[in-house]
Amino acid sequence: MVNDQAQMYTLEGFAAGVLMLITAYLVLGTTTVYTPGDVHIADMQLEQLGSDALAMMDTPDYYGDTSKLENIILGQSYSHAWFYANFTESLKRITESTDTCVNDLQYNASVYYRTDSGEVASYPLSSSIRSDLVSREPAVRVTRWVSVDADTANIPGIPAADQRDPQLLLVEVLLWRG
Amino acid sequence: MERLNDEGQWIVLMGFMVCVGIFFLALIITQSTVVGQTTSEAVLEFPKTEIQDTRSEIIDIAKDWETYTTAKRTNLMDDLKVISMARKNAVVECSITPGAVNDSYYSYTRIIIHYNNGVTEYDETFLLSQPLSQPIP
Repeated sequence: MVNDQAQMYTLEGFAAGVLMLITAYLVLGTTTVYTPGDVHIADMQLEQLGSDALAMMDTPDYYGDTSKLENIILGQSYSHAWFYANFTESLKRITESTDTCVNDLQYNASVYYRTDSGEVASYPLSSSIRSDLVSREPAVRVTRWVSVDADTANIPGIPAADQRDPQLLLVEVLLWRG
Repeated sequence: MERLNDEGQWIVLMGFMVCVGIFFLALIITQSTVVGQTTSEAVLEFPKTEIQDTRSEIIDIAKDWETYTTAKRTNLMDDLKVISMARKNAVVECSITPGAVNDSYYSYTRIIIHYNNGVTEYDETFLLSQPLSQPIP
C-alpha cells in the first residue's frame, strides 16, 4: 500500500533538487564564458597599443616633414632595425617596463600595395619572430595608411613596374603575446 | 502514527530566503561576465582607428588634389578602394571637389567620405578651407 504521508518533505526535496541543478548549470556556464571575455579585454588593449605605436611612427616631427614610417618604407634614413627597436619600445613604454612573460609582445609587419594590374600584393617589412618560438597566442591586427610622396619613388620591396608617385600603401601589423 | 512536525517554520522560511538570495547573486555574476565580454567585443569590432586613419589620409590627399594629374588622382583613389576592400573588407568611396563652395575669404574643397565594412557605416561631408589669394571685396 502506498503511503501518502510526508508529502511536504517530498515537495521540498524536489524544489531543492531543481534549485541545485539550476545553480550548477549557472556556475558551469559562468566559467566557460569567463575565459573568452578575459581574452577579449586583453586583445582590446593590445589593439589600442599597436595602433598608437603606429600612429606615433607615422607622425612627422614637424609639419611638412616625412614621417619615420614613410622613411623606413622608402629605405632612407631609418632602417628596418630601427622599426624593430622603436616599435617594440613603444609597445612596452609603461612605468617600470620589464620583459616579463606578460609583457613579451611579438609582431609581424607587412606592407600591402596595389600592383599595376590591380591586384593586391605584399612584402614583409619587419618581424620579431624568434627561432625558439613553439606556440603563439591569437593575434590582433592593426593597420596604418602611408602615402609615399617622394618624387623619385624607389621603394625597396616593390617591383619598379608597380611603383607610382604618389602611392598609397597599407602597413599591416599582427600583434600577439608570445 | 507520527504527525508532521510544524515547529521551526521561521527557520525553514529563512533558509528558503537565503537560498533565493544566493540564486539571484549567481544570476548577477553570470550577467557581469557576459557584459565584460560584449563590451570588449564591441570595442574590438568598431573600426575607430581605421576610420580616423582613412579620413586623415583622404584629407591629406585633398590638400594636394589640384596639383595632381587625372591619372595620379585615379591611381590614389584606386589604391584606397582596392586595398581597403582586400585587407579591411571595407567599401571606401570618396569624392573630392575643389572650389565647391566659396565665400569672400575662402574657397572650400568638398570631401565626401563613405566607409562601410558591413558592421559599421560612416559617412562624412567635410569642407576643407583654403584662403583666397585675392579676397572678394
